[in-house]
Amino acid sequence: MQTKLHPALIAIASLIFLILIAPLFIILGAAVSDTPFLTFPPQGFTLKWFSNIFQIEAFRTTAITSLQIAFLGTFLALLIGIPAAYALNRFKIRLPSWLSNVFVLPILVPEIVLGFSLMKNITIGLQLPVYTTLLLGHTLLVLPYAVRVVGASLASFDFSIEEAAISLGCPPLKTFLTVVLPNISAGVVAAFILAFITSINDVSISLFLTGPGVSTLPIQILAHMEQFFDPTIASVSVLLMLLTVGVMAIVEATLGLTFLTK
Amino acid sequence: MALGIVMAGTFGAAAQAKTLTISWWGYNGDKLNANIIEPFKKICGCDIVFETGNNADRLNKLKLRDGKGVDVIYLTDSFSQIGIAEGLFQKVDPAKLPNLADLYDIAKNPQGGYGPAYTIGRVGIVYDSAKVNPPITSWNDLWRADLKGAVTLPGITTTAGPMVVLQAGKNAKVDAFSDADKAFESIGKLKANVAKNYNTGSEMVNLVSTGEAKVAVTQDFTLASLKAAVPTMTWAQLSDGDIATLNTVNIPKGSENVELAYQFINFILSKEIQQIEAEQGVDAPVSTKVQLTPEQAKIWTYGADMISKLNRLDYVKLNQAKTDWIDRWNEIFSK
Amino acid sequence: MVKRLSPWLLAGPATLLVLIFLIFPVGSTLFATLTDAKGWLAPYMAFFNSSLRRTVLMRTIEISLITTVISVVLGFIAAYVVAHMPGRLKSIMIIAAVFPLLTGVVVRSFAWLILLGKNGILNSALLSLGLIAEPFSMLYTKGAVIAAMVYLFVPLMILTLAGVLEGIPRDVVEAASSLGAKPFAVFRQVILPLAMPGLIIGAVLVFTGSFTSYATPQLLGGERQMMMGTFLYQRAMVTFDWTGASTVAAIMVVVTIAIVVLMTRLARRMNPMAA
Repeated sequence: MQTKLHPALIAIASLIFLILIAPLFIILGAAVSDTPFLTFPPQGFTLKWFSNIFQIEAFRTTAITSLQIAFLGTFLALLIGIPAAYALNRFKIRLPSWLSNVFVLPILVPEIVLGFSLMKNITIGLQLPVYTTLLLGHTLLVLPYAVRVVGASLASFDFSIEEAAISLGCPPLKTFLTVVLPNISAGVVAAFILAFITSINDVSISLFLTGPGVSTLPIQILAHMEQFFDPTIASVSVLLMLLTVGVMAIVEATLGLTFLTK
Repeated sequence: MALGIVMAGTFGAAAQAKTLTISWWGYNGDKLNANIIEPFKKICGCDIVFETGNNADRLNKLKLRDGKGVDVIYLTDSFSQIGIAEGLFQKVDPAKLPNLADLYDIAKNPQGGYGPAYTIGRVGIVYDSAKVNPPITSWNDLWRADLKGAVTLPGITTTAGPMVVLQAGKNAKVDAFSDADKAFESIGKLKANVAKNYNTGSEMVNLVSTGEAKVAVTQDFTLASLKAAVPTMTWAQLSDGDIATLNTVNIPKGSENVELAYQFINFILSKEIQQIEAEQGVDAPVSTKVQLTPEQAKIWTYGADMISKLNRLDYVKLNQAKTDWIDRWNEIFSK
Repeated sequence: MVKRLSPWLLAGPATLLVLIFLIFPVGSTLFATLTDAKGWLAPYMAFFNSSLRRTVLMRTIEISLITTVISVVLGFIAAYVVAHMPGRLKSIMIIAAVFPLLTGVVVRSFAWLILLGKNGILNSALLSLGLIAEPFSMLYTKGAVIAAMVYLFVPLMILTLAGVLEGIPRDVVEAASSLGAKPFAVFRQVILPLAMPGLIIGAVLVFTGSFTSYATPQLLGGERQMMMGTFLYQRAMVTFDWTGASTVAAIMVVVTIAIVVLMTRLARRMNPMAA
């Protein structure tokens, strides 16, 4: 069931997507160029920059850490963020109005300051292990997406449906999972994607919260760039994009990316 | 529950008797592993973990931890000087580093009793000989009228940035430390020739390869990449000389494995390691015992002759002036 | 009793995380700026007394506002189209929107070099069309920074709004149309008010994102277009002056909050219907 779209709208949107995609071809071209520096259009064709990534062990170990942290951090943020978003929308009257703004703070505070403060007052102060602080730092970093983006979907949700289900004897948790969640799945998926990408690309927080033996991919990329100027980094970007397609496929299979187009 | 699994993974690694923690950049990890880490592990029977990141990040973290957490820290000399000023390192006992005796004098004790240098480099000017005529032969050539909008300088916050200020002082015939006004007047005149200042080597290589810049003030390790991008890029033979940069190793004051750290530093200064690293294109040697073929030496700052011609910077003065210089530099370039 | 407490039980864990891992540590960092030996406002006076720092602050506000407006408009149009696409196509569009966020900032800036540089695609096109005689570099200008930021934040806007627009019941829109409302009136009186919460959240995310950004202005604006984020990095990581850096951070936080509050009020005023 679709409403008609004005052709001009479709034209503008197509142009926007074209512009969003264009630089990616440049990056893909640079990643397969048979030159030891970034160039476009590519000169020759090689996959050696891709194999180069796998030859450098640090890329592999940091990529694993980054993926773990991004998945776990996003999962934890959604686990505590969705209930918070629900409470903020459902019990507007009974919660103080400032509370919803608390969840924007991780975005308001410049990341580098957050990273520095966390290291100074948490890692050193509480003597937590490096990995734990890094994970909690990332959870905090992506929490705003979980709370605010899911909250935006909940804002247009009609809670009387839920009330009806509960009054018919359905337990609250089951009602939430079967009635509320399907209606806000678009928001949850959007929040998941945004959070995951924010986490996997994060530099400032990781800068301070990584430590001996624990490092993330962006930090490794930066280290590589300080000394080498070859297209390896462009290949890493390409692989990250392929990874996203993979993640999206998983999301599609489990939550449904198409948001149950009715 | 997922958290529990991860935690188990991190605590599961049983603590070994001895673990040496090394803080360093993190590039060239595989060659470092093959040439240095694996052989050293065999000698010491210990475990080795790394903390990686660039100079500023790692030094900031060491300061936050009050000099604890790592046993050996690799830094470029401009940053190790900050670490010394902040009181983060131990003084080095030369008796524990027998291999010091084989090093060039410049590397033995570059910073008043602290860590030695394990490799050496230089900062100079690289230009496109096909487009820049006459060739560049002095730091003063940067101000030439024909180079309008063609130069890329290192940003003031990079290792080589403040060196530009010192040369600007010389251009105005003053010492930049005592007469910053005049030096920055010169920098102001240079602004017309600057396309963009860079903060990382890759940024600079991109600027040159895309034709935004034809002249760059840079460290020697970038030359190979510049030549790959633009074959006519040439290292300028400057009458007033290049500037030395050293990479140092220090033992932080909070190190818990001091003896092991000395053993490690002595190991990387040995002739064998210095030779392998130089032959494989990892680091230029500072051991006088290392012999390289002209072909191998081509990319390095190598040999008594070349090393004696380099200018050394006074980093103590530099670090005192740096905050003020950064402001003045921004005043010129960010308005 | 349980009913009374349930909102707090649901919102509690997330609130605690922010309290322990943000408000406490960042609070102590910011508090440290007020204990200066020269008097508690000294670091702030020093900041505002410098014309360079005032320039950087104003430039950052200007660039962030322009970026926000452009991103909101473009993001809204794209999200509206995405929301109306059939399933398959919609997934592809969402995936396409995510890609730009995944390119490392260094590689991305290289892509912009190729597009906007002296030997870049845009210059070659203009030259061959005879529109310009001399190639000129469009890099390191305010425009380049804004373009690169918009490029980054439009996807964020699309993702935030697609979910919201998806949630607008079709029958409401159709009812309005069948009652004779012109498309624009439907948009103004039905769609926009319903999308407002998402729009405000998206705008806030974009504004704060651009206001605190570091890498993009650093690489595409260079020193000439220095912004607050870059300035803060310099203070903290290069001169090791964490008090100075925290002062910059405090100013950034206060300015951001003020502008976000203003934006939210303004948006509500334009739309009395939105709660």
